[in-house]
Amino acid sequence: MADNRFPYDEPVNGVVCKTTPVFDAALKVTGQMKYVDDFYLPNMLYAKFLGSPYPHANIISIDTSEAEALPGVAAVVTYKDAPDVVYNGNGEDRNEFPSERVFDRRLRFIGDKVAAVAAETAEIAEEALKLIKVEYEQLPFYLDPEEAMAEGAFKIHENGNIPMEVNLGIGDVDEAFKEAYKIYERTYKLPAVYHAQLEPHGCVAEYGYDGKLTITTPTQDAFGMRENLHRIFGIPMNKLRVVNPGIGGAFGSKIDLIVEPMAAMLAMKTYRPVKMIFSRREDMVSGRTRHGMKVTNKIGIDKEGHVIALDVKAISNAGAHTTCTMSVMWAMGGKIFRNLKCQNIRFKGIPVYTNTLPAAAMRGFGSPQAFFGEQVMFNLIAKDLGMTLPEFQLLNLVDPYSVDACSGDCNGNVRVKDCLRKAMELMDYDAAIKEQEESKKSGSRYRIGVGIGVGNHGSSLYGIMPDTTAASIKVNEDATCTLMTGVSDMGNGAVTTSMMVVAETLGIKLENITPVYADTETTMYDVGLYASRGTYLGASAALKAAKKVRDILSEQAGLLLEIPGSAFTFGNERVVSVDDPTKSASIQEVVDYSRNKSYKEVAASETFSSIDGPMCYGVHMVKVEVDMETGRVRPLKYVSVHDVGKAINPGNLEGQQHGGMQMGLGYALTEEVRHNEKGQVMDTNLNKYHIFKATEMPELITSTVEEIESSGPFGAKSIGENAVVPSAPAVANAVVNAIDKEIDQIPLTPERILKYINA
Amino acid sequence: MAEIKFTLNGVERTLDVGPKMTLLRILREVYHLTGTKCGCAMGACGTCTVVMNGEAVRSCLINPKKLDGADVLTIEGLAKDGKLHPIQQAFIDAGAVQCGFCTPGMIMAAKALLDKNPDPSEEEVRKSLDNNLCRCTGYQKIVEAILLAAKRMREE
Repeated sequence: MADNRFPYDEPVNGVVCKTTPVFDAALKVTGQMKYVDDFYLPNMLYAKFLGSPYPHANIISIDTSEAEALPGVAAVVTYKDAPDVVYNGNGEDRNEFPSERVFDRRLRFIGDKVAAVAAETAEIAEEALKLIKVEYEQLPFYLDPEEAMAEGAFKIHENGNIPMEVNLGIGDVDEAFKEAYKIYERTYKLPAVYHAQLEPHGCVAEYGYDGKLTITTPTQDAFGMRENLHRIFGIPMNKLRVVNPGIGGAFGSKIDLIVEPMAAMLAMKTYRPVKMIFSRREDMVSGRTRHGMKVTNKIGIDKEGHVIALDVKAISNAGAHTTCTMSVMWAMGGKIFRNLKCQNIRFKGIPVYTNTLPAAAMRGFGSPQAFFGEQVMFNLIAKDLGMTLPEFQLLNLVDPYSVDACSGDCNGNVRVKDCLRKAMELMDYDAAIKEQEESKKSGSRYRIGVGIGVGNHGSSLYGIMPDTTAASIKVNEDATCTLMTGVSDMGNGAVTTSMMVVAETLGIKLENITPVYADTETTMYDVGLYASRGTYLGASAALKAAKKVRDILSEQAGLLLEIPGSAFTFGNERVVSVDDPTKSASIQEVVDYSRNKSYKEVAASETFSSIDGPMCYGVHMVKVEVDMETGRVRPLKYVSVHDVGKAINPGNLEGQQHGGMQMGLGYALTEEVRHNEKGQVMDTNLNKYHIFKATEMPELITSTVEEIESSGPFGAKSIGENAVVPSAPAVANAVVNAIDKEIDQIPLTPERILKYINA
Repeated sequence: MAEIKFTLNGVERTLDVGPKMTLLRILREVYHLTGTKCGCAMGACGTCTVVMNGEAVRSCLINPKKLDGADVLTIEGLAKDGKLHPIQQAFIDAGAVQCGFCTPGMIMAAKALLDKNPDPSEEEVRKSLDNNLCRCTGYQKIVEAILLAAKRMREE
């Protein structure tokens, strides 16, 4: 079925749909790429901060005089200096339950901000922190959301410990359960996990006597940060610049303000550049995590195996601050309605403040939690019904152009069933299942298991908030281009994708385009590099601006070639008249004409706002080996298939899939941000917090189902976040099928697996 | 304070440093060779990997004493005469670069490996990356890049 819902651009110049290295690869392989920690500015100070030693406390008194007297200390800041502005440091949710001050008298987690010091060296700053005298009043604290949400619990924030419940629903769930042939109910505990981006949080803040504050920070959300800093410090936006020098990995962690307001205060106090870079420990103790959740799924089935009722209840640990907890809850709930044909679905989400470190956006934004239980239960249910899991999935998964009854929006060109079929081929599913059964029969210590996970994610913020990106293109005197885009790039290739779209549209070489990106001073507004919108929105804006440039060049070419009003094709750095193909000119000639004869610069700025919100689906299949004596899992083979619309940069897209697989393996098997009973994060380095290494990775096989999504640029939708969504249930199901026991928690550490085996 | 002498990217250097310094800090803070990254400062992530006396080392673990008399090669010393080293080129061509923060360390680990073993198996490549973490690529294209570089260097 062809997707004709929106006008769609067919690529003709061979730039898009071709594997292309990220634009800054040469800088990255030579060490010339300047990340924020690589900035050494004249007269720069180095900043360190003091974290709360208690999970919940009030500052009774704070004495910084000795710290200030230490030679080399330039400034110390505490709540006494901080603006009395309560904010939500997450740009998307800046108006949702603001809960944080730059420095507060109330401290809500171990690692919460008590004070910060700027000094001539980082060592002096560290030394000064030890000289700050603080008297604390300890308060009751909660690490478990269920204790924090209990009646009479001590309030972590003024309005109580549940910011707001989320309730969504379609159909008549209770009635459907009454009619169900079988009902299954399970609860799963999903951990908070750490982004483990290799570049820790950090920024450089500069403040001049002209009253201008400049924050250089590897941010996914330059404009959201500027808005928040504007609210906190009252600085007008023309004197507030947030600029992204390049991001050494983020995965959602670099949306929120974290170090930036502290460094800003120090810069404003000293009028000197201030660099504040988190140590790895600080990043793990005072940074962000994915939301840990306890999710209960109740599923009703009819006699043929159709899911006729789905009831999901999630208790989400927000940690100490709101950040984007509300949007994660809404997003999680919303996506549950878009996987299955079932028309009786209910979702209750209860976000709860606790005194753990704040949970925020992380790749998947509620989707990993949304589908884990559903998919692990599908594995059990199919078995119970005597069906294969693929049969059960195919019976229940959504079809192309299905409409989500909850939002009323079309799911788009959904190809999840094609993904499933392709993944089965690539896994050689039947043979793998046979291997699984034989390993069981043989009574071997090492059991094989094969698992499937299915999930979906969006490709923008369509229907959620005004979802816009603007791009500008100026054509230089030599017919090369500068592309200015609000889109950030965290290595996912978002800026490269925009450049490719422009080169394709203007028929010019990719190397003839230079990007300027994510700088609030020189690029136009972008909502932010999250919600998997880099391609779908970012490249759409670039496409729109490129078309406008094409219009200008066509007009000028018409005048130059004396065929005014003619339409032109663009390719090989030339324009050719559609009406009279003998008439053509180089873009250079057209640009010269425009500048010298028409006195007109060739440039355009266009805003694009999403016109649709197609969902993207993925099917992951994993084969593992479980050591029944030690509980150790060795992943052997991993297949990831996604419906992506058209892949603008296929190799890059594959890289996104690979990264999602690594992250998903960790979520399923090794990763967990654990707090001890005192509220301390237990694993504070990358030796203890184990992410998968090169030697531990299984054979990775990636593929796509590429059917045009007509609302996207050249038919593309998204991959970034969805790459990780189906992963954990696929791995967990593989383990379940190997050990023939149910599980109720991830990560599936050897200890837990032994517990299940011996249950 | 002690005076140490070492070779850095082919240039003789003499330096007075305190015992608390590490090779990583010397590279970044003294010479502003910022291509070598700091991801953890405790040897757990490998972003600071350089080649010292032919071995891949995590520079955050190297104290000045060990540095005395050593020959150090960093990512900045790899490209010659405006031409990328084959490992660098292979990282670009194989699509092994995403955020890039692990890239210099990965490339230097690969350099030490290929100098010793010009024809490594995939398993040997993976083993050589055991001290290097990446969160973007799943290591797949990094491994492919190193194998590609090895092939190209053998054919040179």
